[in-house]
Amino acid sequence: MSAAAPDDPGRDAYLAALCALPGMTTARRRLLLARHPARQALGVACGDGADPIFTEHLRAHSRDRVEPRDWFARWRAHLAMHPVEESQDSLTACAASVLVRGDIGYPASLDDDPDAPPVLFVRGDPSVLNGRRAGVVGTRSATSAGLRWATDVGRGLAEADVRVVSGLARGVDAAAHRGALAVSGSGSGPPVAVVASGPDVVYPRENAALWSQVVERGVLVSEHPPGTEPTSHAFPQRNRILAALSEVVVVVESRVSGGSLITVRHAIERDIGVLAVPGSVASRASEGTNRLLRDGVAGVALDATDVLVALGLDSRRAEGRRFDPRPRPAPGDQTLIDLIGGDAVSIDELVLRTGGEVVDIAVRLGRLERDGWVLRSGGWFVVQPDPEAMHGVNR
Amino acid sequence: MLASVRSANVLGTTGRVVTVEVHVGDGLPGFTIVGLPDVVCREARDRVRAAMLSSGLTWPNRRVTVNLAPAGFRKTGAGLDLPLAVGILVAGGVVDADRVAGLCFIGELGLDGSVRRVAGAAPMVAALAEHWPELVPVVPVENVVEAMAVKHDRVEVVSTLTELVTVLVEGAPWPDPPARACVPSPERAVDLADVRGQPVARRALEIAAAGHHHLLLAGPPGAGKTMLAQRLGGLLPPLDARAAVEVTMVHSAAGLALPAAGLVSEPPWRAPHHTASLIAMVGGGSDSLRPGEVSMSHGGVLFLDELGEFPPQVIDALRQPLEEGLIRVSRARASATMPARVLLVGATNPCPCGGGRPGECSCSETARARYLRRLSGPLLDRFDLRVWVGRPSTEHLLGESAGESTAVVRERVLAARDRAAQRGHGPNSTLSSSMLDDVAPLSTEAREILRTELERGRLSGRGLHRVRRVALTIADLRGSPLIATADLVLALQMRIDLNTAARGAA
Repeated sequence: MSAAAPDDPGRDAYLAALCALPGMTTARRRLLLARHPARQALGVACGDGADPIFTEHLRAHSRDRVEPRDWFARWRAHLAMHPVEESQDSLTACAASVLVRGDIGYPASLDDDPDAPPVLFVRGDPSVLNGRRAGVVGTRSATSAGLRWATDVGRGLAEADVRVVSGLARGVDAAAHRGALAVSGSGSGPPVAVVASGPDVVYPRENAALWSQVVERGVLVSEHPPGTEPTSHAFPQRNRILAALSEVVVVVESRVSGGSLITVRHAIERDIGVLAVPGSVASRASEGTNRLLRDGVAGVALDATDVLVALGLDSRRAEGRRFDPRPRPAPGDQTLIDLIGGDAVSIDELVLRTGGEVVDIAVRLGRLERDGWVLRSGGWFVVQPDPEAMHGVNR
Repeated sequence: MLASVRSANVLGTTGRVVTVEVHVGDGLPGFTIVGLPDVVCREARDRVRAAMLSSGLTWPNRRVTVNLAPAGFRKTGAGLDLPLAVGILVAGGVVDADRVAGLCFIGELGLDGSVRRVAGAAPMVAALAEHWPELVPVVPVENVVEAMAVKHDRVEVVSTLTELVTVLVEGAPWPDPPARACVPSPERAVDLADVRGQPVARRALEIAAAGHHHLLLAGPPGAGKTMLAQRLGGLLPPLDARAAVEVTMVHSAAGLALPAAGLVSEPPWRAPHHTASLIAMVGGGSDSLRPGEVSMSHGGVLFLDELGEFPPQVIDALRQPLEEGLIRVSRARASATMPARVLLVGATNPCPCGGGRPGECSCSETARARYLRRLSGPLLDRFDLRVWVGRPSTEHLLGESAGESTAVVRERVLAARDRAAQRGHGPNSTLSSSMLDDVAPLSTEAREILRTELERGRLSGRGLHRVRRVALTIADLRGSPLIATADLVLALQMRIDLNTAARGAA
């Protein structure tokens, strides 16, 4: 609310009411708000005070040939049902502030964006956007290795005072923010979330706790006013803001088609660097990221340091040598690690490949797991990389 | 003229004796049957009448009243046809009452006068033998095997009504029972040696058989889950005398074919389809309360393929019999307790698409969650062993080396079961947690491993005891009196978490 123009009391409520109108697209908002102050813009949308240019825009860009006067009637009816006071109440209820392009506090990286959102609804402290920012995105159905990597890189970035920008979706998004939130104290990068619903509408429900932590410690940004339910086309739209707010975008795991790749496209359009984490060629969850790497679209990210290097924050030499605290595996156990390699492998396969006994292999795997060399999930084993290297920086 | 003939009926898997009283008296010609007959029983009149006429006998053209005593419970099935016919013959004066005084009868009649097989002959003959040990049962030829299995001294057979009348009226000798087909028990059709690769699943089968641990096989389609489950029956020891009689009773009551030797001596293996109804699974369904699949697999293996596809209420209904080893089927008019001590083997895909290696699954998050929710919780908890069955690679499928055969593994299983028996308790899976401390103390190192698992949240309190029981079985299989750390580690590895197996995620 800090940015609300003092000469226009209640501006935020008018903006929220305007953005809540069904069919009030980004382009329409942009046009209206470029030509009118908030209150008048709402009036124009309801048909009071003709704006020939807006009317013409409506006529030209109505996909299903709805006449402008029908739009005005529709919006007037909506406003009658949901008056401005209601918008004010919902803003107050979730303590959301409203930022319009040009306001102090409106993210600088969006200022000159070709598709910048004209209005942003913000919960938390928008000033955290003034730090270094890295987007971490990926599939909602990630593998255990992917989730772990996302958490570790989130933590590594937060430790280096980098803001993790993500979408609070299931899977990689949530894991990255969990990692970032695991770091506390001064000099830890606060989380930045860009969501596709209203800033008070938690989606998916399971991330409710994470959602409130982000609001508390960082900032949560949405193009939609409070109370807006997420729609399927809101997610790709959200991804452009996510990309634009990032200085570099890291894709942890992505299928061959998915929201993460839309974010990548938006990032490339804006000349924002893209990094991807290579995965097993057998894994469907890494198909999209591996293709990005093959096509040369993305750089390789093996750990948080790679992301920091991309941001120009290489601190590897700043402190002492890194070392792996894990006890060295016994020679026989090392063969198992080598056999597992970069894949997920079942005990069956290890028994058949080594010709050993089931019990023997099970015991060795148990030992390796206890020492932190392998990770068990379901019936599968994956090799766990050096924990320090994953964090990118020493503690 | 009054006649009374001894017979029996079956409820659940137990027989009940019935006395068929026939009165043929003066009055308008007619036929009344009382004493709570069910529909099949009531239709006996038409079958018996036609059978008698086809056999050249006369139907008394008088008033016939039949009472099935005791009148208090419902009589079911066609097994009372033969005693009814005999009763009419006696009451009509064709057969001398003294001739049937030492006999009792079971059998269904065909319209041509043939005597047909009835379901439940074994429990019926057993009830008759207990109640009236001096009576000689007369049973259909096809039922003689099961009747002999429970009544060892003397059983007579008839194949037609005419034959019976010849014996009873003309004093002809009883027909010889059919020569007992003396086939040796058939060569086991399936052998563990057929399974290529799958070392973990083979090991799990061995452990399941040795300790009677319920087993869940999870894996993609075509991995060989069914093939493995079929080989579990062969690893189990043959049924002991008491179990053999119990199983024979159940199979007889369910109308299943019995082996030539009469008693069922091999553990049964049943694999009901996932469309099976609740009644088909636990029993009931008619007045005779037919045994369900869980009773039919008593003493053997109940294999539920596509476990997640079974309706949740069917799965829930299995929980009580799995705990108690028997099932109580109660209806308003009757209730029966039937044995149901089974070794449960479940098979499931990790997710709707079948999955495979982590990252290969193409299901959406919600589809996967929905799929696993059906399996989750109390049911999964019942499985001591949960192993991943992967698709074997081509070189193992085509490989020369066969694994151990059923006979070899069975030796070890029997030895392990002996060890448990020597300690004086049943299979390891039935050990109480207090007994566990006595017979399977934990070493310090083992305690440490279990603590880590508990702290990581991968093991629940109940799971802890299950792991210890499995570890004890593994030690028994090794022939060791002490649980080694390796046994415990293996037990832990044989308890995968399905939630993570699906996507291979954390």
